[in-house]
Amino acid sequence: MSRSQRIARDVFTSLLANKQRAFLMMLGVAAGVAVLTAVIAIGQGTRERVMELVQVHNLDMIMVRAGGEVQIFAPQADRGLAALTEPDARAIEAEISDIGKVSVVQAQRGINLVYQDRSAATRVFGVDSGFSEIRYRPVSQGEFITDADVVSMARVAVLGDKVAKALFPEGDAVGKVIRVENDPYTVKGVFREIGQTANGEEDQDDRLVIPFSTSSRRLLNRPYLEQIIINVPDLDNIPEVAERIRTLLKSRHAIGAGEADDFFVREPDDVVDAAMQTPATLFALMAAVSIVALIAGGLVIMNLMLIAIAQRSKEIGLRRALGARASDISRQFLLESVFIALAGGVVGVVLGLAAAMGLDAAGLAVSRITWLPIAVGFLACMAVGIVFGVQPARKAAHIDPATTLRGRAA
Amino acid sequence: MIEAINISKSYRRGNVVTDVLKGVSFRVRKGEFVAIMGPSGSGKSTLLNVLGLLDSPDGGSYLLDGVDYSETDDETRSAARSRLIGFVFQQFHLLDRATALRNVTLPLLYAEVSRDGTARAERALEAVGLTHRKHYLPSELSGGEQQRVAIARALINDPPLILADEATGNLDATSGAEVLDIFRNLVRGGRTVVLITHDKNVADHADRILGFSDGRIAGNDLGMRGRDTSTRTAAPGP
Repeated sequence: MSRSQRIARDVFTSLLANKQRAFLMMLGVAAGVAVLTAVIAIGQGTRERVMELVQVHNLDMIMVRAGGEVQIFAPQADRGLAALTEPDARAIEAEISDIGKVSVVQAQRGINLVYQDRSAATRVFGVDSGFSEIRYRPVSQGEFITDADVVSMARVAVLGDKVAKALFPEGDAVGKVIRVENDPYTVKGVFREIGQTANGEEDQDDRLVIPFSTSSRRLLNRPYLEQIIINVPDLDNIPEVAERIRTLLKSRHAIGAGEADDFFVREPDDVVDAAMQTPATLFALMAAVSIVALIAGGLVIMNLMLIAIAQRSKEIGLRRALGARASDISRQFLLESVFIALAGGVVGVVLGLAAAMGLDAAGLAVSRITWLPIAVGFLACMAVGIVFGVQPARKAAHIDPATTLRGRAA
Repeated sequence: MIEAINISKSYRRGNVVTDVLKGVSFRVRKGEFVAIMGPSGSGKSTLLNVLGLLDSPDGGSYLLDGVDYSETDDETRSAARSRLIGFVFQQFHLLDRATALRNVTLPLLYAEVSRDGTARAERALEAVGLTHRKHYLPSELSGGEQQRVAIARALINDPPLILADEATGNLDATSGAEVLDIFRNLVRGGRTVVLITHDKNVADHADRILGFSDGRIAGNDLGMRGRDTSTRTAAPGP
């Protein structure tokens, strides 16, 4: 065994021989780590729940619809619907900051599809490559439309689940060539089944998605759009981004003050926004509390160590006399505080995860146990052990063996 | 074994500088049993610290086993302490919560070579007649037994020099005599023993007494006499 290993083992044996002291020193760290671990586990759970809500309700998307506000419940009406164009979308992409992907959407109902002896009528969407990500509509088979497909006006299509089942009951749609209004289109992919929308008004599995260039120039032969959809990664920016889009489009469409818009910028429902804000504040607070608790735990260790060092100055002197270097003494005390903090970390992580799972089971919080809270808990306790162990260790190393060994009062 | 040449050491407290060692010179040969005797406050502690390589002298040279340690760093001095010196203290300085066996193995932690602790410690305890007490805590042992554990601890690294600082000061007459007998046996076995004491009765057990007062060795300049048997007729331990 190397010298360091021998010293580490000796520290361990000493701690076991002084369980009560070690236990008291451990408690502070355990409490801090427990709170921190629980907060992170609950934070993770809540974050996932929120992400789920964001995806299901597409809360991170702004939608620009053609036609003024009055027409939003009558999107099929002709009036004003030719106002929104692809250059509007490209201008938004180029000029508005804080946005993610942008996709145009051209939509038309009553498109006829044929594959061999099967046929279906559905709604077609002409879109950009970002559509799938912006709308959280992943494919379950094959792949989605790419930029190259858009550039080349490719006759490719991604089928809604219901359409795919109607034309390909065997589930082998990808790679097959179907007829869309009599033109041949290769099936690139099939969307994962979605089911009804929240309000049940439209079957989202009943659709056909093709590149925008193909729809505007080959299939529908019109330049104007039904929608532009814009991803906004940071939900907090949505109102501001929406306002900037309004300003940009008013200017592009030369709409003067007091005149009615020929477009409508729809922001996501702010329902979940509030649901997210509350826990965010709470977590910030709890994280702060746990950090304060950790620091307090560290200070407890440090002070108990400093007291112990004063009490154990003779032991330190003795060890020096027996051949310990100053650095061996400093290592001994640093290891002692790290061991104690680690023990506190183990207890704290277990308690914290148990608390998080308990709150989850009781329905008071959503928690998710991943490596993150465990890793953070251990890193935090290591940091506490080292940060608050250094000063006592240094102090112990500087104790003069000469003065401690020869206590005159016997 | 020991060669001290004009060693000086002073301490500064605030603006007051106290000269504790004022030019200490003496020699101790290998295999000698020497007592350094002086009253309290004469600077014995400071001298012990220098002799035990726990502190460096401000001036002069200190040679141990032919090597000058006057101006060496902590690591060199720590290694030399581990290899060359076994300490025995007035207050035993055993770890309260460790058994006799673990106390005896403690110096092995800091030894340069890794050794099989338990077997060595058992042999060392046997040498001081405490095999039957190896699993006892210090609080379960008598003072004399505790000091014998401490001696076993001093011997575990097999050092040529034993430095005993008032080693019998906390013991009754019988235990004190036992401890001094052990030292005598160690000298017979070829080790060098230096006793530091204020007690003439204890010092008389040594082969030679170096009088120490006011920061200087008095009465025996360089101590090159042989074994002085006349001092051994004195009364047994305190």
